[in-house]
Amino acid sequence: MRPGIRNMCNRFDRSYSYLSCILIPAVFVLVLAASCHKEKPSLYLKIGLPEAPQSLNLWLGTDANSKRILSQIYQPLYRRHPKTLKIIPWLAAADPVFDPEKSTYTVTLRQAKWSDGSDFTSEDVVFTRQLFFDFKIPGRYSKWKLIHKIDAPDPHTVVFHLKEPSAIFMSRIMTVPIVSKAEWQDVVKKALATEKPLRTLQDHVVTHPMGTGPFVLTQVKKGAYIHMKKNPYFFGTGLTLGGHVLGPYVDDILFRVYGTSDVAILALKKGDIDYYWWDIQAGHLEDLKGQDDIDLYFNKKSALYYLGFNLRKPPFHDRALRRAVATVVDKEFILTRVLQGYGTPMNSVVPSGNHFWYNPDVKTYSHGLPREDRIKAAVKILSTAGYTWQTPPVGEDGSVVEPSPIQLPSGRKMDKFVILTPPADYDPRRAFVGTMVQEWLRDLGMPAFARPMAFTALLDTVKGKHEFDAFILGYGKLNLDPDYLRAFFYSKNDRPRGWNMSGYSNPEFDAIADAQRRTIDPEERQQLIYKMQKIILADLPYLPLYNPNVIEATLNQRFKGWVSKVNGIGNIWSMCTVKPVD
Amino acid sequence: MKPGVFLVKLLEIALIFFIILTLLFFLFRLSPGDPVSKMVDPMLTPEDMDHLISQMGLDRPVWEQYLIYVKNFFTGRFGVSFHYGEPVKDIIKQRLGWTILLFTTSTVMAAFAGVYLGKIAAWKKNSRLDNIMSISALVCYTLFIPWFALLLLWGLGYQLNLFPLGGVLTPELWVGAGSFVAKALDLAHHMVLPLMTLFIINLGSYLLLMRSSMLSVLQEDYIITARAKGLGETVIRDKHAAKNAALPVITSVGLNLAFSINGGALTEQIFTWPGIGRELIFAVSNNDYPLAQACFLLIALVVLVANLIVDLLYAWVDPRITY
Repeated sequence: MRPGIRNMCNRFDRSYSYLSCILIPAVFVLVLAASCHKEKPSLYLKIGLPEAPQSLNLWLGTDANSKRILSQIYQPLYRRHPKTLKIIPWLAAADPVFDPEKSTYTVTLRQAKWSDGSDFTSEDVVFTRQLFFDFKIPGRYSKWKLIHKIDAPDPHTVVFHLKEPSAIFMSRIMTVPIVSKAEWQDVVKKALATEKPLRTLQDHVVTHPMGTGPFVLTQVKKGAYIHMKKNPYFFGTGLTLGGHVLGPYVDDILFRVYGTSDVAILALKKGDIDYYWWDIQAGHLEDLKGQDDIDLYFNKKSALYYLGFNLRKPPFHDRALRRAVATVVDKEFILTRVLQGYGTPMNSVVPSGNHFWYNPDVKTYSHGLPREDRIKAAVKILSTAGYTWQTPPVGEDGSVVEPSPIQLPSGRKMDKFVILTPPADYDPRRAFVGTMVQEWLRDLGMPAFARPMAFTALLDTVKGKHEFDAFILGYGKLNLDPDYLRAFFYSKNDRPRGWNMSGYSNPEFDAIADAQRRTIDPEERQQLIYKMQKIILADLPYLPLYNPNVIEATLNQRFKGWVSKVNGIGNIWSMCTVKPVD
Repeated sequence: MKPGVFLVKLLEIALIFFIILTLLFFLFRLSPGDPVSKMVDPMLTPEDMDHLISQMGLDRPVWEQYLIYVKNFFTGRFGVSFHYGEPVKDIIKQRLGWTILLFTTSTVMAAFAGVYLGKIAAWKKNSRLDNIMSISALVCYTLFIPWFALLLLWGLGYQLNLFPLGGVLTPELWVGAGSFVAKALDLAHHMVLPLMTLFIINLGSYLLLMRSSMLSVLQEDYIITARAKGLGETVIRDKHAAKNAALPVITSVGLNLAFSINGGALTEQIFTWPGIGRELIFAVSNNDYPLAQACFLLIALVVLVANLIVDLLYAWVDPRITY
């Protein structure tokens, strides 16, 4: 062996001998650290998040976790009342004054301040609108372009001139956050001078966003925590809005991320956090119910989980077949077995929690019937439409038997078809429901196959390429304005990346969808929305399946006063009313 | 290693790296969907999505995108993450430190302990100590990481309240005026459980590798010669056998250290460790091309360089190997 190596080996040798001398102190120091360091008790409101926010730049951070932070900072002119869900003034001082002749809305603003102490004025609203237009901000521009002109006659009055009366003016335009002209004007100017203005605007790093909300951002430690402090200039402090006297009553909030729900639940039980801002799975409930210092909240969700069909091609271009599928699907089973009782079966495409717009009188299919009766009802629909079997699912004596493969009205055997679902690791419920639908359809002799597919690939297949037979998808947080029905089923939206994924086309529906947008009177609009639901449930491009409850948990030892509403207690109302326990 | 051979090796590495660079680009473009496919907000119109795509430069022909990508790479511009809107370089810099701290520490500690214990196990072959160590190592080696990590969190973090339940630091301490020592101890405190998980899992593989290598070395003639010369047992074990037996372990440690920059997505996820492994999975699933490509390229580069270093080290440690 070379001498150099021999020396090195001797050093290695010594290092082996000293191994214990290194390891033992290392372990000792770590254990010492564990025993020495104990957290000081404090009155930080500690909130767990499932993932880190994407960005604190409002124009990029569109994910749920970014919104949770940004919604404490940037505020809209109007927002929904937590109980009645009606739109009430927030940064605006009163309801807007509508002039039907000129199609204008006049909004008076509150005497509010930005978090740096400067005044919030109508110039900020005008600037925000201009920013939406200059950058064609996704999700904003398409709605705000209904406004062809905006005036600011004085610092606290804004006049919106609309091209035509619009029912979504309040729900989709007035509920978006307003930004500060002082904070953004230089950034906007620079971005507009670049080749890709929107991308430049989105890539602008925001460290201390200026808002009018109850909290201000003070520190972000990437990958560790986000610290927010009470905004001393918050306009709502002391006001009674939405039935609550607003604070905030908490000086500091700390947000931190937990990589898995299991660990977050342990942290809640241990007292490391006061609230985990995410749905708790029913499986954790038994464990949490037994703990006195944990409060559980069950709220309705504005969600829609559904089975979608491709109406562009056989076999689901046939309405009778879709109705037979709707008849054989057992929503009660989904509710009791998949949701473990924590949810509601969906009968319409508007969630029942959205009580003003939900139509309870739509056509339902086999609601509450036992398996045999559902199969018999479905067979009746199929037989009437000309579908046949060598051995039908219902025998001559009326008993349900295993059928032979179903034959189309043309006499040809039905081709195998696939029900696409997200994979179980993304959403176990939808994957399981897919398998159950497959089994229920096989009871009718249909060659159905449920296939889980990676979520991005699934959306690309269904929404981009339209290469599918059926799919199970869902929206976890639908806007409370039902205008989304127009997006989902309007014939012009049947195009790549369009929301009419089923390829539904019905001129009657399109006409009502357009009419409801122009109808300002809520009661009149409600009747049109009811009609839209009736048409959809009769034609069934989507079969609504279920709507899970939002289950949340808080630690009740340090803070109280959480506000329940549709979609849970994680909302601005809670942040403005939660206070330390006496 | 002769300079000519070294140069050829460097050229090989450059060529392989360029192939990986190209493959990565096309693999991401061939995968289903694009960065906006996952956006499920019904407020977004198809025009909005097309606008976003064009702002990302993804509406250009693929060959044009490829040329820009190669040019940007060789001019040191890795782009801006589609998801975070931050320069990819900055994101990697932030994450890499955490990953190196945890994974490199655990690899080095486990390698030292594995070599030491594997040497003893082989020397005392078939004894009770060997059996206990071998079986324990097998158990460690086959542990299912998420289960074991959750078990440690539940037992030591929740039930005994000895360690924090994930994360890298205690926010209250860092927001307030904590001293440097307190912050350093806090960081060490948070490292214990993830480090313990990785150490135990890695220890098994190093111990078994060292034991098997040592057993084959002990059959060599020079060991018999050493015994015939009347050398002491410890000298034969440590100076004659263990050093030669450690060669495969050096290779393994070298490559593991290289791959350790990849982190371990599962470990990072469960312990909420803000490392690069979790970020890589996230970037791939979100079609965040700039970030995912840069992460993979970094891994490729480090593995290629580590391979070269292991080759050099081999020749240096064992004079029988020449290039």
